[in-house]
Amino acid sequence: MRPVDSPTYARSLHPGAWWLWALGLAAAASRTVNPVLLALLVAVAGYVVMARRSRAPWAYAYGAFLRLGLVIIAVRIVLQALLSSQSQGIHVIVDLPEIPLPAWAAGLKLGGLVTWEAVLIAFSQGLQLATIICCIGAANALASAGRLLRTVPGALYEVGVAAVVSLTFAPQLVADAARVRAAQRLRGYDGRGVGGLRRTAMPVLEGALGRSVELAAAMDSHGYGRSSPVPGTTRRLTSALVLGGVLGVGIGLYGLLDAGVGGLFGLPILGLGVVLAAAGLVAGGRRTNRTRYRPDPWALPEWLVAGSGVACAAVMFVVAARYPAAAYPAYPLAVPSVPPLALVCMLVGLVPAFAAPPPPDRLPTATSPGSKRKGTHAEEIW
Amino acid sequence: MTAAVPPSDGEPLIRLSGRSAVVLAAVSLIGLVAYSWPFFVDPGAALDTSHSGDAPWFFVVLLPLLAAVVVAELSSGGMDAKAVAMLGMLAAVGAALRALGPGAAGLEPSFIVILLGGRVFGRGFGFVLGALTIFAGGIVTGGVGPWLPFQMFAAGWVGLFAGMLPRWRGRAEVAALAAYGVVAGLAYGALLNLWFWPFAAYSPEVTYVAGDAFGANLHRYLVFWATTSLGWDVPRGVLTATTLVLVGRPVLGALRRTARRANFT
Repeated sequence: MRPVDSPTYARSLHPGAWWLWALGLAAAASRTVNPVLLALLVAVAGYVVMARRSRAPWAYAYGAFLRLGLVIIAVRIVLQALLSSQSQGIHVIVDLPEIPLPAWAAGLKLGGLVTWEAVLIAFSQGLQLATIICCIGAANALASAGRLLRTVPGALYEVGVAAVVSLTFAPQLVADAARVRAAQRLRGYDGRGVGGLRRTAMPVLEGALGRSVELAAAMDSHGYGRSSPVPGTTRRLTSALVLGGVLGVGIGLYGLLDAGVGGLFGLPILGLGVVLAAAGLVAGGRRTNRTRYRPDPWALPEWLVAGSGVACAAVMFVVAARYPAAAYPAYPLAVPSVPPLALVCMLVGLVPAFAAPPPPDRLPTATSPGSKRKGTHAEEIW
Repeated sequence: MTAAVPPSDGEPLIRLSGRSAVVLAAVSLIGLVAYSWPFFVDPGAALDTSHSGDAPWFFVVLLPLLAAVVVAELSSGGMDAKAVAMLGMLAAVGAALRALGPGAAGLEPSFIVILLGGRVFGRGFGFVLGALTIFAGGIVTGGVGPWLPFQMFAAGWVGLFAGMLPRWRGRAEVAALAAYGVVAGLAYGALLNLWFWPFAAYSPEVTYVAGDAFGANLHRYLVFWATTSLGWDVPRGVLTATTLVLVGRPVLGALRRTARRANFT
């Protein structure tokens, strides 16, 4: 067993594994509107984030996504209560005064009867979307975008470098803006109004543009962007793969949208198009031949974390198929039932809290030599 | 490379070859379907949502691959260090603007960077710049989600069409850009509501009905747009246009100056 296979060896997990796990949880949430199961999924994602997040700036994203989820639920409940025109139940909470709207609003009304059923259905549906958002927030908090960008296919190499450049310089630009504003304040400008905006924005922009010229000169002098000569056959093959893939996706979509053709025709052609396009991406990567410095390993913990997400989604698909009454409760006022199999799904989703290695910057300094190294923000992103 | 000519307006930083243009047009068409499919799906077709609510997620999965294909295709003509550095730096400016004013009343200050970048450095560059700005902004603000590919495509189109505006100079250029800014702000909002509209179950009069007639769904969507997001889209368009009128000329001048200075190969 290599050291990277151990769940206690402190290192950053491969970001792809975190994304697979989070997408698995999101897929599980898409299979149910049972509020108990959805709340459990949010709790599972939150627990794993708390257990395995690093001290990097993006590690606090989960809270923002949680707030966004609460906003989604609140907006949905308020709109449902204000706009719903059919009475969806018999348990009335309140009878709001009704405001008639003009004819172009097609019978839309404001106010009227608000029932418990309508509010609770809106809550469950809002909670489902909020849970999916929270799962994605967990991936944002756990996976380093910079490390994920290092794994882009060769065909996207130049744009990947541009993305890393922008991620490295964006925080510096915010600092630049603060510096320019401070300088303007020393000169007696208060930095407000249109003139203030111009006096702050233009120096920051000019600075950024100047830096881009310097960066381009530095990259050019280091031999950046020398692509290897590609034989004509490879170029033609790439063309054929990309064009064929796009054509296949287009025809397949047409098949999926048209009732006369039927999904049996559309789906295979779409799949073929997706495979061709992906092959075109790989073939297009031939023009940049470069090696990767210290690639992130894909070891046992990565398999466990990614497998946990996939298994969680699979179990929830089984639950939705076998216990439809629990996955989609018909009567919103009753306490929803929770089948034991759904709890297995939650436990499977919790596996990364123990199977993933702890991030190197969360350990006490005595046990980890890596935590003594001070990393700048730019280094973190790279 | 023999880039003796400065990459100013006559010389786009990312050259659109015939093949790239075909792929860009085809993928844009598919992207448009990914937004507007609720209007075109037949009752009983495989993507009909009346028996399963998964059709919107299908496009969420498909669009990132398409975005990767089109961006790889646009950069396959050879992106030199200048294009990469300029792209990264302008995307950084846009991402920082997004981080500073995240969605306050739907205002999108990074639109100005995308618009002017596309105008000065060409349509291919504009498309990649729009997509990359949204991507980097999403990562900086920790906002990577199912909405990201849709935003990337819409912002890419904002930059693409900015590069196709008529080649006027002076006041006429700024006026055309400002008028385009209003249109782009409104169109961006109208397109972006579409991706989550099939999820939104608020009230029968504004909700998507799977398999209903094109006109009926379109009317419901327009009511939905007018009642929910128009109040954000109008300020976005107006603010973009106002800012362009105020700072358009100096920023255009700065971008063109940099394009001349970067002529060192």
